[in-house]
Amino acid sequence: MRKFALAAAMAATLISTQAFAEYPEKTINYIIPFNAGGESDVSARFQQPYLEELAGQSFVIQYMAGAGGAQAWSQLNGMEGDGYTIMGINLPHTILQPMEKEVGYETKDLTYIHFFHYTPNALFVPKDSEFQNLGQLVEYAKSNPGLVTLSGSGSNSANHLGQVQFDKLAGITTTYVPFSGTGPAVTAILGSQTTGGFNYVTSGVNNGDGMRMLAVASEQRVKAFPDVPTFKELGYDIVGGAFRGVAVPSSTPEPIRQKISDLVSAVNANSEFQKKMEDAGFVLTDISYDFINDFVAEKTKEYRAIAETLGIANR
Amino acid sequence: MELLGYFVNALTPLNILMALGGVILGTVIGALPGLSATMAVAVLVPFTFTMDPATGLIALGAIYTGAIYGGAFAAILVNTPGTPSAIATTFDGFPMAKRGDGSLAVTLATLASVVGGLVGGVFLLLLSPPLAKVALAFGPPEYFWLAIFGLTLISALSVGNTLKGLLGGCIGLMLAMVGVAVVGGDIRFTMGTHMLLGGFDIVSALIGLYCIPVLIDLVATPDPHLKVEQGNRGIRLREAFGIVWESKFNVMRSSIIGTVIGVLPGAGGSIAGLVSYSEARRSSKKPETFGNGAPDGIIATESANNATVGGGFIPTLVLGIPGTPPDAVILGALLVQGIKIGPTLFSQQGDIVYTFIFGLLIATALMLPAGLLIGRYAYKSIASIPKTLLVPTIAFLTVVGSFAIHSNLHDVQMMLALGVIGWILNRCGFAPSPIVLGLVLGQIAEQGFVQAYLIGNATHNLGGMFFGRPISLAIVALAAFTLLYPLVFAKRKENAKKRAVNAARSYADSDGATTVGSDDATTKSGFAPLAGLKKQIAKPRDHAGMFLSVLLIAVAGWAFSQTSSMTPMGSVFPSTISVAIIVMSIILLGLNVLRKPAGSGQGDVNDQSSNARRIALVVAMIAWVAVIPMVGFGIAAIVAFLILGRVACYEQMSAKRILGEGLGGIVIVGGLYLLMADILLIRMPSGLLF
Repeated sequence: MRKFALAAAMAATLISTQAFAEYPEKTINYIIPFNAGGESDVSARFQQPYLEELAGQSFVIQYMAGAGGAQAWSQLNGMEGDGYTIMGINLPHTILQPMEKEVGYETKDLTYIHFFHYTPNALFVPKDSEFQNLGQLVEYAKSNPGLVTLSGSGSNSANHLGQVQFDKLAGITTTYVPFSGTGPAVTAILGSQTTGGFNYVTSGVNNGDGMRMLAVASEQRVKAFPDVPTFKELGYDIVGGAFRGVAVPSSTPEPIRQKISDLVSAVNANSEFQKKMEDAGFVLTDISYDFINDFVAEKTKEYRAIAETLGIANR
Repeated sequence: MELLGYFVNALTPLNILMALGGVILGTVIGALPGLSATMAVAVLVPFTFTMDPATGLIALGAIYTGAIYGGAFAAILVNTPGTPSAIATTFDGFPMAKRGDGSLAVTLATLASVVGGLVGGVFLLLLSPPLAKVALAFGPPEYFWLAIFGLTLISALSVGNTLKGLLGGCIGLMLAMVGVAVVGGDIRFTMGTHMLLGGFDIVSALIGLYCIPVLIDLVATPDPHLKVEQGNRGIRLREAFGIVWESKFNVMRSSIIGTVIGVLPGAGGSIAGLVSYSEARRSSKKPETFGNGAPDGIIATESANNATVGGGFIPTLVLGIPGTPPDAVILGALLVQGIKIGPTLFSQQGDIVYTFIFGLLIATALMLPAGLLIGRYAYKSIASIPKTLLVPTIAFLTVVGSFAIHSNLHDVQMMLALGVIGWILNRCGFAPSPIVLGLVLGQIAEQGFVQAYLIGNATHNLGGMFFGRPISLAIVALAAFTLLYPLVFAKRKENAKKRAVNAARSYADSDGATTVGSDDATTKSGFAPLAGLKKQIAKPRDHAGMFLSVLLIAVAGWAFSQTSSMTPMGSVFPSTISVAIIVMSIILLGLNVLRKPAGSGQGDVNDQSSNARRIALVVAMIAWVAVIPMVGFGIAAIVAFLILGRVACYEQMSAKRILGEGLGGIVIVGGLYLLMADILLIRMPSGLLF
């Protein structure tokens, strides 16, 4: 009897893996919930050729921008869960948006598959700024509360969270000035419209010598900027920025979810891909399907604490 | 000279082929409202990875410049800007087409676009590093004042109807506030729906406000859409050359304005077109012709918006800051290819950059033959196509276009709703253009204001922030001049026509523009309002206007009550605008109470138009949009196509013709469906069928 059960179970596993063994068999749509040209798009473009090589199928990148990504994420679970639709997904966005307001999806409704990189926050000042290091800026901000203005992309964004954490840990008051995207926020720094700004490390790569990076919010120094200290080294426990990965509709079968995670992971292991991403200022991370729910839960806790400081944890 | 070598590099057959192909594809995509340059560029990016970087960039740049130019076609022929850059092209382009000068308008737009594009490209070639500094000198207060400058165009656009124009502008500004606020993060006026979280999309609003009213009125009469030209006058190239040569100062001024505004990240082609239009009108000897089919209006807008292409590449390539959304995509493509952006790009990778710039110039020049050829057939087919085919085709384009923006049906629903509301408002004397201006400029004005306020407040220098910066002051002076000039002009005209023109010319050349403007304002304010008031009261009572004012007071009152729960940052603009709406609505209401009641039948007695057909069109389109998620995009489109053809049909049609047009419909729907789903890779809703 037991033997039979075992055999049946084995047969069942065999059949179910068999059914998905050939995946992927056709073109995969990779939906980016933002406009083309942003960090989410660029990193997906980096992945695209490697994914195609490994999977033997083409990956078509499509865009569904709107409401900071919420437009697409709220529709994700209504799409077909056959593994041929995957969607870019970002933290802290998918945690903060539903925490703040009703946006048509909840953090826990989304099926996260894999986070493959993040763009750490970094504190920038213009190149001719009087502040050569973070210490000088903190010193100045202490004696002039509110006078230091820091630009960033949008309100209640990853950049904004960085500024709030920084104020709290350094015991200072700075003024956050939200802009409509990372581009305009960087322009404000380059043109010395603001004292400095919180922005992603990737912005530092594009704008080369126009800005000075005072500190970066990653665990270790970023490879593209080996001389820039981390906030941690300087005594402020700030590690943050935007995490990017892929998600699928909730109806997608488990074996396919695992396969997609393996694919993304395999691309991350490619040294050529690593070099390209790191040169552009992205920091690779490999949070696979097995660990992702714990990771999201942990981040939710962390972001809730900051959201409460900001007064936006309404739900 | 080194540059010459790069020019020769750019002249390879492959590069020229890419430039020509890119321009043609771009023109077609730009001419279809809703399909944008950004979309076309994004789709082509992966293909360019297999090419040599300069060739890839040339293809992308050519598509981009072609799309900006292509926007003029829809603006001139269907009164709908194909891209937001062509908003101001509708002001004069459509009136010209209506009176039978459509091919002249298209040729003028082509010439102006080519010259503007070349000027922008030459600036990009020769003056990139210094011009990139302009981008950095523009801070939040400058953007705020630039947006205000754009809004002053409302006063010029609505001469004789200023109050309704300003109210329309405020309605647009209010629409721009809907959704999640960039500054402050408030959720404003969404009424608890997810649909409005992203706000009103500008492109879908453009399609709705401009195109749906055209459609509604198109089915109401059997008259042709455009007047067919007398005789075969071809593309009227010689005549157009003559006009452009006459307006050479306008062309140059607009091209330079376009280049400089293109350099500013966050401004873009629509503002460049509007500012140039406003300047062209101000300096024109015949400002009253603007809005009624003045060639100079088209020339100004089209040369400015194509100049933004070259201008926009300046911050993109020098600073790594994209000047416009398509630039952002191209920047991303460069990044993926491993090309380092920044000032060193020009010195270290000159072969790529300069070859690209020359390629862009070549592509722009190729726009002339390509554009004239496309233009010739576009005008002819729009003017000669029977209404039974034209109406469903345009209707299909509005649905496809507004859907394509975000692959989202919400945008289609909003487009249709705004279109119907826009038609009603237009009937009540509220033109769509002020509303669109408010919608386009609202976000820029608000963000600039709040950012400037935050910085000024933090640095204890609020006054200096708004009024102490030289660029800001120059823009304020220009705005004041534009606003007051029509009044000054009208007054002087009464005294001595010729002297007024000469005097205005010398003012424009002198530095004392502000003092002149304000002096005249003070002398003017002594008597003008009273005289104006009398004139206003002399008009017959406007019942529709009264009804709308009451409605607006109610809506603005509701909006104002909502602002109390917002952050100070998020509430300052909406509360100010709602108060402005209430005040102006009360004035409008008051004026009408003073007016004598008009006699019955307000001039609509001779109206031969069919309201039944209008309603049928609107109902058919609402039903169409409603069934898409159920039956699928393609099948709904084909059925709707056939129904709308009947709505627009005024004659007995033979079975053969019905069959032919049905087939035509299937070809048009199928072709565009394939373009969207398989070439532009837009996600289509599938539903039951397809």
